[in-house]
Amino acid sequence: MKSYRFVTGAVVGVLTSATMMMAAQAAEYPAKSIELIVPYAAGGGTDLVARAYADAVNRHLPQSVGVVNKTGGGGAVGLSEIMAARPDGYKIGMGTVEITTLPNLGVARFTVADFTPIARLNAEPSAITVNASAPWKTIEEFLAYAKENPGKARIGNSGTGAIWHLAAEALASKTGLKFNHVPYDGANPAVTALLGNHIEAVSVSPAEVSSHVAAGTLRILAVMDDQRSKAFPDAPTLKEKGIDVTVATWRGIVVPKKTPENVVNTLRAASKKAVEEQGFRDQLNKMNLSYAYLDGPDYKVAMEKDAEMFKALMKQIGLAK
Amino acid sequence: MYELDMLLHGAQALFNQPMALLLALFGVTLGIIIGALPGLTATMGVAILLPFTFGMDPLSGLLMISGVFFGGIYGGSVTAILLKIPGTPAAAATAIDGFELTKKGQAGIALGTATFSSFLGGTASVFVLIFLAPVLARFALEFSASESFALAVFGLSIIASISGVSVIKGLIAGFLGLLLATVGLDPMAGFPRYTGGYTELFNVPFIPVMIGLFAAAEAFKSLEDPQVRAGMAAALDRIIPPWHVFRRQLGNIARSSGLGIVIGIIPGAGADIAAFVAYNEAKRFSKTPENYGKGELGAVAACESGANGCTGGALLTMLTLGIPGDAVTAVMLGALTLQGLQPGPLLFKDHADLVFTLFAGMLVCYVMMLVVGLGSLRFMGRILQMPKSVLTPTILALCIVGTYAINNSMFDIWIMLAAGVAGYFMQKWDFPASPVVLALIMGPMAEANFRRALSLSNGSYDFLYTRPITAALLTVAILTLMLPLLRRLWSSRSGGPTVNGPTVASSAAEGSK
Repeated sequence: MKSYRFVTGAVVGVLTSATMMMAAQAAEYPAKSIELIVPYAAGGGTDLVARAYADAVNRHLPQSVGVVNKTGGGGAVGLSEIMAARPDGYKIGMGTVEITTLPNLGVARFTVADFTPIARLNAEPSAITVNASAPWKTIEEFLAYAKENPGKARIGNSGTGAIWHLAAEALASKTGLKFNHVPYDGANPAVTALLGNHIEAVSVSPAEVSSHVAAGTLRILAVMDDQRSKAFPDAPTLKEKGIDVTVATWRGIVVPKKTPENVVNTLRAASKKAVEEQGFRDQLNKMNLSYAYLDGPDYKVAMEKDAEMFKALMKQIGLAK
Repeated sequence: MYELDMLLHGAQALFNQPMALLLALFGVTLGIIIGALPGLTATMGVAILLPFTFGMDPLSGLLMISGVFFGGIYGGSVTAILLKIPGTPAAAATAIDGFELTKKGQAGIALGTATFSSFLGGTASVFVLIFLAPVLARFALEFSASESFALAVFGLSIIASISGVSVIKGLIAGFLGLLLATVGLDPMAGFPRYTGGYTELFNVPFIPVMIGLFAAAEAFKSLEDPQVRAGMAAALDRIIPPWHVFRRQLGNIARSSGLGIVIGIIPGAGADIAAFVAYNEAKRFSKTPENYGKGELGAVAACESGANGCTGGALLTMLTLGIPGDAVTAVMLGALTLQGLQPGPLLFKDHADLVFTLFAGMLVCYVMMLVVGLGSLRFMGRILQMPKSVLTPTILALCIVGTYAINNSMFDIWIMLAAGVAGYFMQKWDFPASPVVLALIMGPMAEANFRRALSLSNGSYDFLYTRPITAALLTVAILTLMLPLLRRLWSSRSGGPTVNGPTVASSAAEGSK
């Protein structure tokens, strides 16, 4: 009898402590290591930002953050996985501008509303860049050429429906001009074609042409940003020239929609501390990437604004399904 | 001479940095292992090591990555020759004749030839990189979409020469590969084709298909008879090929290395294409082309020197112009940028000391590859002595792990297993697997670049004959396709009706065997 009571007591005790531990676990997030899903291949821009972030945030979280690359479908595979992850904060992801463009292409099951933004880390505007041997010294001259020769100015981009294609389309729709958009398999091959004078311009980011601009082989005519680029202060913005087009790619941390409030707050606080580290900013600088931190709520506003713009644009140019 | 002087200075600087040399050795060794494992390619090895270079000094980090690059390209050949399992796409070409040599009991010499050819091709390409970089870099910019299209067509024409016994079966396999290559996102318009709603199929799962067709199919085949040992146990007696045998390959290796370097320089074309093109040209220039596909040492030498010749070529455009020649150097571009070394024309001006020390280091990497390679061959050769009941499950496990590692995707594993079953039946019915692989490499390249070229020319087909490189490559492609036919005609005519000799009909039949 006595022993029976003892067993019961022990069982109750174990159960109680187990329940308490579980409660404690929920309160003390994170209790185990966190997976950071990157929807692009190791070694690319998004991956490098993710690894620099993981490096920095590890110092501000009791558990480690590990990077996992899930590539495919121009980002759709990885982003779908982040969306569908259990919302407990142990699988977070790099949310890129493709969150706002892929749904319109009809190749993704997610929309911008399926994610809770934690922090934007980096943003790169589009820029119109030409070969240094080209006759156009200013963006006005280039646009004048495009006006006189509709469909003749070939602008290389990183793939149909990808961000730099949409940037060139946005410029075309705002100015009423007609370009010949040539998709390449990524930004680098497009830049190579421009170097060989096989196309007239590219719409990729200043970072992706910076070494050639520094070497004097390419020339940036304008950037599609609110302010001039710090690295190339001589290149005007399109806004200055009276063309209201701003298109940028961005990368940041997102979690699935239903992630609990306390987890989101913990991640936001840790991310804020991580990006304030000089080491993180130095790392971005080294890679020619611009630091563009936004806290969760502001990031959400920026994401929704882009989602609306791309939806309208892609419908207009017939890309949206 | 400026370059030679700088190189000597570089070598001096290099030998004062034992840590960098140690990391280079580590990189080479790791690269060989990664290359030998199916699914793990040089690209992936470099990408995985990239974050570790963040904290290193530029020389150590870059040498380690170069080591992985070089070792990874070479390592694929070891398992290709011993087990017909190409560790990398480039080694799919090596596997054709390499495995036949193993079956003949000449695995040792095949491996030794592969190692020496890789070393010679790679070293030659690094020397070209050092001395001719500025001259050759401009050639890369001549290459536009139309030239890439023509190169891909030329690549596809090689199917005729790697088909083995039956050209018809080779062509069937090749067209099957081309059909598979149409799956995925349309290269120009970006809409999904034949994906059945799976986002995983947006890119053709090329490496899983290759692993399935070669490695898994081979494993399935050996399941038929698990008791048998590989049967070539005693074959690995001699690794270093006798001089009188190797001497005959030197011309072949020189030509293949040259081809490899040029293909490496061309943006978007890498070691896989180089290996197949080198195979084709070695066969074209060989006195005994009929031996190709049946275990010809020249084929192994050509594929390996071609693939490794690519390394220097790809690095050349990456370093001088900042444009990567293939997937590996695209990742390396990131590594250089991270170290604050902006690749491009200014790199040689601003960081000449470091660049030439790096060049010296690359040469050392190739010597290390030779030593580590030759040293490990005997150990690797023991694979042949393993009973199949142990080897087969190991291979299948490696196939699954390697496939999963590419994209962390279970989906890819199913693709690989399906390809394995298909590959098993292809083997049974004598359909060669390498044309499928070739078509999967060249098909998307041909399609995307043809349509891009049309877009660039505003819809005019003139680029097919107005651009000299395009026209030349297309002509060579047609010749390659026609060559077997012409040979047959020629042999039937020269062996024509003679007294008591074979009749026209029988000699023609002989030619088609």
